[in-house]
Amino acid sequence: MSLDAQLARTQPSRGNFNLGVAFALMALSLSFLMLAGLFVRAFAETPPARETMPSLVRPNDMGTGALLFPSSQPGYFVEAPRLATDVEIDVTGPIMRTRVTQRFQNPSKGWVEGTYVFPLPEDSAVDVLKMQIGDRFIEGEIKLREEARQIYEDAKAEGKKTALLEQQRPNIFTNQVANIGPGETIVVQIEYQSSVHQSDGAFSFRFPMVVAPRYNPQPIVQTVDLDGSTGYAVGDPVPDRDKIEAPVLDPAKNARINPVKLTIKLDAGFPIGALTSPFHEINVKDNGDTGRLITLKADSVPADRDFELNWKVAAGKTPQAGLFRETIAGKTYLLGFVTPPSEAGANEEKPHREVIFVIDNSGSMSGTSIEQAKESLALAISRLGPNDKFNVIRFDDTMTVYFPSPVQATPDKREQAIAYVRGLTADGGTEMLPALQAALSAQGPVAKDALRQVVFLTDGAIGNEAQLFEEIAGNRGDARVFTVGIGSAPNSHFMTKAAEIGRGTFTLIGSEDQIAARMGELFAKLENPAMTNIAANFDEKTVRDISPDPMPDLYRGEPVVLTAVLDSTAPKGMLRISGDAGRQPWQIAIDVAKASEGKGIAKLWARRQIDDIEATAYSAADPASVDKKIEEVALAHHLVSRVTSLVAVDVTPSRPNDEPLGSAKVPLNLPAGWDFDKVFGEEGTGGATQRAQLAPAPEAEMVADMMAAAPTARAAGMIAQAAKPVALPQTATLADRYILIGLLMIAIAAMASVAFGIWRWQMQGLATANAGTRYEH
Amino acid sequence: MSTELSNEWRAGFLARLSAGETVVLAAIAMIALGGTLVAAKGVYMKAKAELSQVLLQRSFAAEMRGETATKPWPWADFTTEAEISAPRLGQKAIVLSGASGEALAFGPAHLLSTPQPGDAGTAVIAAHRDTHFRWLKDVKPGDLIVVTRKDGRKLTFRADAGRIARWDESGIDANADGHNLALATCWPFDATTRGPMRYIVTAELVVADPIVTGAVPASRSDIAEKSSDNPLAQN
Repeated sequence: MSLDAQLARTQPSRGNFNLGVAFALMALSLSFLMLAGLFVRAFAETPPARETMPSLVRPNDMGTGALLFPSSQPGYFVEAPRLATDVEIDVTGPIMRTRVTQRFQNPSKGWVEGTYVFPLPEDSAVDVLKMQIGDRFIEGEIKLREEARQIYEDAKAEGKKTALLEQQRPNIFTNQVANIGPGETIVVQIEYQSSVHQSDGAFSFRFPMVVAPRYNPQPIVQTVDLDGSTGYAVGDPVPDRDKIEAPVLDPAKNARINPVKLTIKLDAGFPIGALTSPFHEINVKDNGDTGRLITLKADSVPADRDFELNWKVAAGKTPQAGLFRETIAGKTYLLGFVTPPSEAGANEEKPHREVIFVIDNSGSMSGTSIEQAKESLALAISRLGPNDKFNVIRFDDTMTVYFPSPVQATPDKREQAIAYVRGLTADGGTEMLPALQAALSAQGPVAKDALRQVVFLTDGAIGNEAQLFEEIAGNRGDARVFTVGIGSAPNSHFMTKAAEIGRGTFTLIGSEDQIAARMGELFAKLENPAMTNIAANFDEKTVRDISPDPMPDLYRGEPVVLTAVLDSTAPKGMLRISGDAGRQPWQIAIDVAKASEGKGIAKLWARRQIDDIEATAYSAADPASVDKKIEEVALAHHLVSRVTSLVAVDVTPSRPNDEPLGSAKVPLNLPAGWDFDKVFGEEGTGGATQRAQLAPAPEAEMVADMMAAAPTARAAGMIAQAAKPVALPQTATLADRYILIGLLMIAIAAMASVAFGIWRWQMQGLATANAGTRYEH
Repeated sequence: MSTELSNEWRAGFLARLSAGETVVLAAIAMIALGGTLVAAKGVYMKAKAELSQVLLQRSFAAEMRGETATKPWPWADFTTEAEISAPRLGQKAIVLSGASGEALAFGPAHLLSTPQPGDAGTAVIAAHRDTHFRWLKDVKPGDLIVVTRKDGRKLTFRADAGRIARWDESGIDANADGHNLALATCWPFDATTRGPMRYIVTAELVVADPIVTGAVPASRSDIAEKSSDNPLAQN
């Protein structure tokens, strides 16, 4: 055949070949691109934009007392305009009594039910509630919770002004106020008793004054940290917390919007040295050696800080001990505090420790929880010294004790244990009891002078709490049980109590970035107990209910603070407190007869008593008996508690039905102590009125606009509870997605195979053509 | 000749491939395999959700008979709590305790931080939108939701309108007044990605049967009978 003919034959085939190759290559690369695109799409999820909710608050955000009205957005509330706040704090020795009076306004044109939310220090005993709504004066009476709610609901239905003060959590109280008229002013006054905080020889207290954050209108980008294997969203319950703008108010403007008058009468009981308020500017007036009168400097209230006051003793040494008493109804209530000398045990070498680590690797821990637990545990093991002994126990529905008995923490053993821990996976059920038994009673006797510590890492997802508490109480021996709560929603109730019974502490690790800091605090405690085996004894035989019981270990700089009650009015004898500072025993004796008088100790005692009863609730046969005990104490001391509430009783005669509101002014016969204008002072009243006029009308109108027009009892109940809304778990599986991705991948593979086939076929064609050409030659 | 060639081609197919072609072919094979595995995983998750309900039915029936500590299978980290049904929609599922990701893979779960259905407060039951609570979007206001607790109490709730909320701003208060039930699942329903939004249907208690003491064979067998046809199989 001629060259031309050959060319003519090969040419088109080559053209075909090129086209085919190009097509095949294109198809292949397209498949890969699509595949890549698929994965890129899969991993780059668009973060959803947060809905904008200007000026709305949630009860949990309240850092200071505030009156909330339900808003038209479910779950959100608007704050009633606060016209004035007056705070009076009387500090006598270690006890303080706080009276907060606040004036609010209903800016709407309708009748509303509001909820007054106020956070308080954990140990506060709330006992007085007084309110003025419009022309009605109302005082709270202590009643059983259910009974109080019934009285409130009835009064509300009848259109009466009424108020109900309930404890929601030990440090959050709410006060529901019904039937607030249009434009009416509400004055709320609460009083509570609490104790002064002591640490490292310094005395201090905090008063909550943080203004709740406003949800700013800028969209906030949020991502939820999802766990691939469990589908659980884990993370900060308020994601992007830092992006919720702190209200930065111009102090002068804030003072106008939220004027606070703070007066502190301080009677320290010893010559006062340095007196500081770290966050607020104060005026100090001397009142003798031991007394001070402190007021806030005008126009200097930053909105984002609690008020804090610190004071120290003038010269010489901090009082090592103090004892105060109050006699009520033939009983003497005692409050004592002792700071162990900080030198005690300072020269001692660190005690040897025997640490038993228990890690929960059950199914409920899967995901980020187990990772956090593993990391925390690895950190803890690496911190052990060569003189310490340790062992590791892991459990799900089965259990493994890693070393047959505790081993010396040599670098080898530590590495070995860490490697074991890192290899753990979370699966199976949660059978905690055998692991606890193994940790408490199967680890051999404690070496002389050694400290046995059991560190328990779990999410506490168990049902047999009572059994576990009994196990700890019965078999703890000399061991201290420290619990570490892992994950976003660990059972902190269980772990706090387990640590309390085990005379240890509870550490909560909510997220990855907290591990280092929180575990660091725990290590400091594990490694340096300042004083152990503390016991308090009275010579007097009638002393009852010494609290806390058992006495917790002390860490550096902390005082022992105890309360007790005696059945006599003239106590005699000594109070002896003893403990071990390292290997050195320590004891102090205080003459009870020389205790100085202090007001409000009975209330503090009662509050502690309630805490103690709650703490032993696990061992009570039936929960009703626990409630009954709390009820007795709370009613006797007029305290708000979990089972008792203050319910308001209208003390002014109600308006006759036939007379329209406004036309008949009921003459006001003020009960003594009810003149709130006096509380606020002439200037205050004038100021308030002036402020009310000055208050920018649009602002009040905005609040009125956002208020739900007619809040139902249910809506009011929602805020009243001030509870955190239930966080819902992740309820989407990736099953559909997997199936989709899988099918797409199969389709892509099929396409690629076809493309490959075409390519091969073309190659085949070329080869045949070439062969043909050769043949024909 | 062509068949001969094709046979030969097939026989020596792999041997004749160039290095590059082998790589390409291997990549294709791997994509196909990967796709099959991923799809199988998805199918497995669904199958697990559907099939496990049979075992859960058995365990729940045992619990109803008064047996305690009956775990559906020995290594399960949850117990059966109740049975939830939507009579109008003909749907039924066993509710588990503790809404851990693990429990949710097998059935709707009751959030332990909330009270039991029928007790004072708001009980929350959550389930996956693509399996057990696929029917939640079809619940209309006024529909009845029946919950049978393991203590034998049968509680009837009337559903309210559904709403959409973020997972951490559900607005559900576990201690709210009344006896309420909130059913939650993920939203949007047809999305294949996970998101922060949840669809919540609240319901109020309307009828509460007292605790049934002793065996009631009729109702029991009824339950056992219905358990065999999985309510979600048709989806």
